[in-house]
Amino acid sequence: MRVALHAEWTKIRTVPSPLWLLVGTVAATVALSAGATSVVNCTASGCGGDTTKLSLMGVYIGQALVAILAVLIVSGEYGSGMIRTTLAAVPRRAIAFAAKAITLTGVVAVGGTVAVLGSVLAGRLVLPDLGDQALSLTNGPAMRAVVGTVLYLILIALLSLGIATAMRDSATSIGIVLGLLYIVPILVQTISDPYWQRLLQKIAPMSAGLAVQATTDLHSLPISPWAGLGVTAAWAIAALSVGGLLLRMRDA
Amino acid sequence: MSAPGIVVAGLRKRYGPTLALDGMSFSVRPGLVTGFLGPNGAGKSTTMRVILGLDAVEEGTALIDGRPYRSLRHPLTHVGSLLDAAALHPGRSGRNHLLWLAHSQGLAARRVDQVIEEVGLASAARRKAGGYSLGMRQRLGIAAALLGDPPIIMLDEPFNGMDPDGIIWMRGFLRSLAAQGRAVLVSSHLMSEVQDTADHLVVVGRGKAIADAGVAELIAAASGNRVALRTTAGAHAMKVLARAGATVAATGRDTIAVSGLPADRIVTVLNESAVPFSEVSAHRATLEDVYLDLTREAVEFRAATPTEVRR
Ligand SMILES: Nc1ncnc2c1ncn2[C@@H]1O[C@H](COP(=O)(O)OP(=O)(O)OP(=O)(O)O)[C@@H](O)[C@H]1O
Ligand SMILES: [Mg+2]
Repeated sequence: MRVALHAEWTKIRTVPSPLWLLVGTVAATVALSAGATSVVNCTASGCGGDTTKLSLMGVYIGQALVAILAVLIVSGEYGSGMIRTTLAAVPRRAIAFAAKAITLTGVVAVGGTVAVLGSVLAGRLVLPDLGDQALSLTNGPAMRAVVGTVLYLILIALLSLGIATAMRDSATSIGIVLGLLYIVPILVQTISDPYWQRLLQKIAPMSAGLAVQATTDLHSLPISPWAGLGVTAAWAIAALSVGGLLLRMRDA
Repeated sequence: MSAPGIVVAGLRKRYGPTLALDGMSFSVRPGLVTGFLGPNGAGKSTTMRVILGLDAVEEGTALIDGRPYRSLRHPLTHVGSLLDAAALHPGRSGRNHLLWLAHSQGLAARRVDQVIEEVGLASAARRKAGGYSLGMRQRLGIAAALLGDPPIIMLDEPFNGMDPDGIIWMRGFLRSLAAQGRAVLVSSHLMSEVQDTADHLVVVGRGKAIADAGVAELIAAASGNRVALRTTAGAHAMKVLARAGATVAATGRDTIAVSGLPADRIVTVLNESAVPFSEVSAHRATLEDVYLDLTREAVEFRAATPTEVRR
């Protein structure tokens, strides 16, 4: 396992695209977050609304780049045929797969932390000091939102890795992941029945998982913050299981 | 310990409607270069993937020094292989490609630089592999196969894309690997590529081995006691020789292949019947003849003319 991890780490750091995708994740997340916070109207009594959630808004975009990074780690190898070299070097497929998942987790944890802390910092710079206390990391709910958002990005990466291992092809996998993330929120807008609306928001990986960013008005959420992140985790586990099982069963 | 080298026994593998392997059995022994020959689609690459535990079979076993590949710890120190030289990330340098492979086996970077030297890739090692020629990729693939200093080396079509110098280098290189006591399996669909290199040949067609013998043995068997006869009175000669119990076939305008009679008997028979002839000689088959003979039945995608198969 240790050598398999070492190999995956060497792989990921010796091509330029993962680094650029991580830099892109940070840049896009911080930029969108800063943009979102700059349009709030603050008064002396506060800024109104959930400023923590607003200042972490950038993950809406950042997660797409994380998903692409995760997909390319496996589907890139299927595209070139290098997966056979990988599996000849590490023939125990559960180990080969775990090594990829752990390496990805580490890389996204670092990139995601930078992106999320950058967003918080941007929010503090943009919002007037007196306006809001919500962005202080000593504040419990704000801290939960920050940590939860990093975890959310890791889960999206693992979900994407599982899907890419099952589908093998880059374009198909990216299509499925982005569809899963972005189509559901659009679909929700078209549903008029509030019961179905809330149900969809409870089970969709993005709307459920991002409940972890909410710091105000928690009772009106379709799902509680940690339970929501749990739903995203369930998606990731399901995708990893299917991908891992297919990797073990199929010819390379 | 059980048999060293590779032992493949009774492999059966189906891809949808295609029966890719149909009872493939042979072994690859230490100290020899074994040529793995067969026409396109005969099942050579599939067999190699099965040996490496990449593809699963319905029946049969493939063992490395008596053990299944998937059970090997640090497998590249047991078997070095090259299946597809193009299977690289184009944005990674050749050296870094070898580096991750080395790390996957717990090997140090020093070993990477050694194998780069050995295959003559030092000047290009730090360039992106995407810019390599096919010949350079083959050398990088060979370097990867050597990385773990394995006792078994398995190469799928390593001559592909090599220039004449590269082919000569590759031949000497394969010989030296066998001379070091390694078991070497090299596939090709051209006899000419392996005939001067291989000690042993496994000829395959339609998913099974149709010959598995030493090079000298194969030539002797195919040559039989055939005698080549040159005469201007072909029809007459064939008639008298057939009557004397020989099997005859015209092989050219004035040449006949005779088998079933020794050369001195043939001369006597011809003299008795006053058939003129200018030459009687023992026929020696070339490996190319042997190969074409063996695979004639098994060629799946026959080229427009036989000469094209012969290249
Ligand atoms: N992954 C696959 N899916 C479907 N069919 C396959 C697959 N791999 C091989 N085959 C089929 O199995 C048969 C054997 O193919 P294989 O590639 O092993 O032959 P080969 O001897 O290596 O030929 P070549 O000299 O052309 O490389 C062929 O009919 C091929 O079409
Ligand atoms: Mg082949």
